Amino acid sequence: MLDSATSLSVLRSRQGVATGVGYWALQFAGWGLYFWAQASGEVIFADVSWSKAATLWGGLCVSGFALTHLLRWIIKRGRWLSLPPRALLIRMLIAVALLASTLDVITIALSLAEYNTPVAPILGAFYRRLPPDGQRINQFVSSLIVTLIWVGLYLGFAVQRHRYDAQVHQAELAQLLHAAELRLLKAQLNPHFLFNALNGVRALIADEPARAQDAVTQLARTLRYTLGSNDDELVSLVRELEMVNDYLALEGLRLAERLTVVRDIAPEATKARVPVMLIQTLIENAIKHGIAELKEGGTLRIEAHVVNAELTIQIINPRPINAPVPSAQGTGLKNSSERIRLLFGSRASLHLDLSRLGEATAEVRIPA
Amino acid sequence: MKALIVDDEPLARRELRRLLAAHPSIEIAGEAGDIDEAHERIESLAPEVVFLDIQMPGGTGFDLLSQLDWLPRIIFTTAYDRYAVKAFDVNALDYLLKPIEPERLAAALDKLQATPLTARRAAHKDSPLEQLFVRDGPRCWFVPLRDVSVFSAEGNYVRMQWGQERPLLGRSLAALESKLDTQRFFRANRQQIINLEFIRSVDLGVGGRLHVQLNDGREIQISRRQARQFRERTTV
Repeated sequence: MLDSATSLSVLRSRQGVATGVGYWALQFAGWGLYFWAQASGEVIFADVSWSKAATLWGGLCVSGFALTHLLRWIIKRGRWLSLPPRALLIRMLIAVALLASTLDVITIALSLAEYNTPVAPILGAFYRRLPPDGQRINQFVSSLIVTLIWVGLYLGFAVQRHRYDAQVHQAELAQLLHAAELRLLKAQLNPHFLFNALNGVRALIADEPARAQDAVTQLARTLRYTLGSNDDELVSLVRELEMVNDYLALEGLRLAERLTVVRDIAPEATKARVPVMLIQTLIENAIKHGIAELKEGGTLRIEAHVVNAELTIQIINPRPINAPVPSAQGTGLKNSSERIRLLFGSRASLHLDLSRLGEATAEVRIPA
Repeated sequence: MKALIVDDEPLARRELRRLLAAHPSIEIAGEAGDIDEAHERIESLAPEVVFLDIQMPGGTGFDLLSQLDWLPRIIFTTAYDRYAVKAFDVNALDYLLKPIEPERLAAALDKLQATPLTARRAAHKDSPLEQLFVRDGPRCWFVPLRDVSVFSAEGNYVRMQWGQERPLLGRSLAALESKLDTQRFFRANRQQIINLEFIRSVDLGVGGRLHVQLNDGREIQISRRQARQFRERTTV
């Protein structure tokens, strides 16, 4: 889980760098091209010297470059992209008007300085049939068009990136939520079991120190397995069954002759991967709601087989005949079943069968 | 002091036995592994104190207590039972968490010696009920019956008015009546039994009925049939 979350954020920061580079490239290319087209056009069509044309359009493009960059800074700083469309439109219209006017004033100023005329020669050449006022209006319109193209391109890219980031963020959140859900659903060792086991060990220490030592070892292994289960989702069946054996040995301490266990594990099933602590949870249920509720106890059967690339695990236990249809049993079972769904989707199932009198069968099917 | 250990786990019983060996004042009269056995042992052995586990096959320690008419003193033993511990807090009962600490056990036994038995076991078969263990939903109480003002029939059960609490008792009014102290409790009508010590005033009603007002302001009618007996009992 951690890995995929990290790789997602790496992806995200790379994406951020890429759009930063993209912006600068587009910014240089755009203004450079505009400079080249206008300056060379002016030399060709208005028959002016390159140095004058280059000074005029160079000055304008450097100003444009700086001013649009300033606008980008303002947009980012003010988080305009997160604004509702209406607010964004109003701000953009004001920005476009100011930017176009400023560019127009700069064009007029530079043109006056270079050529002593308010209209740049290239525009004068293009619109020579228009009266001077018309030429000046068209000069403003060309600044406006340049501004609009810049704003259009910028918004187009930025909005797309904004949306993309939101999607990545969404995916990341979903991933984290998924991981958190699985963590929550994962069974914890029941504290009741833990303290009862400790009480049993305390009773054994004086009379049967060897059994007490075994019990401490089994308890340590059980605890270690449970604590380690935070790291892995799936373990081999044989590993889970090792833990279950320790767990059953400890339950045997307290239930004594009331608990008998019969195992039928097909050799090909042992390699199969199962959700960690899943079988333990089912066994715990079988004891808590079944065997521990019976004065005379009973036999717990654990079976595992692989048929057609599907692992079937069955936990069969006796239960009190007059026991109510379980509702308390619900949460543990519901969590396990939800966990299986998150891990395997519809390819796996968990089913509790109480149809036979005085018996419960929990059945898990997962792809082997 | 005669003690009974009730726990379904042999090892837990063994451990408690060993811990109690350090307290010569406690004589372990017997053990029980489930609530039926425990019920029978309490009847036959007449223990003065019962060490009672909560989770057992066939029923919990609470189930056992609500079946008993005569309650020995109870010390609960539990491994981990948030629900139970919460119930004790309400009651200021003693309970021991397993594994039991010897110091904690000693303190519980000291407390036990300090509190007098409310009822003498010797007379218990015929002596009236003194207190009951009542469980209503998630809450449990040891209710001293002299503090109950009214018992009202509610279907086949009995609702008790006990201070601010109104717990439901899983017995019928008739069954309860036969076990109550007749000096203290009086069947006022088909539905209710009242505690005579809670009566503030009595008024004559229509048709030979009596209106009784209790200390808590509650009004109870005494039926015509019962009114004469009431007069004899209380010489109004």
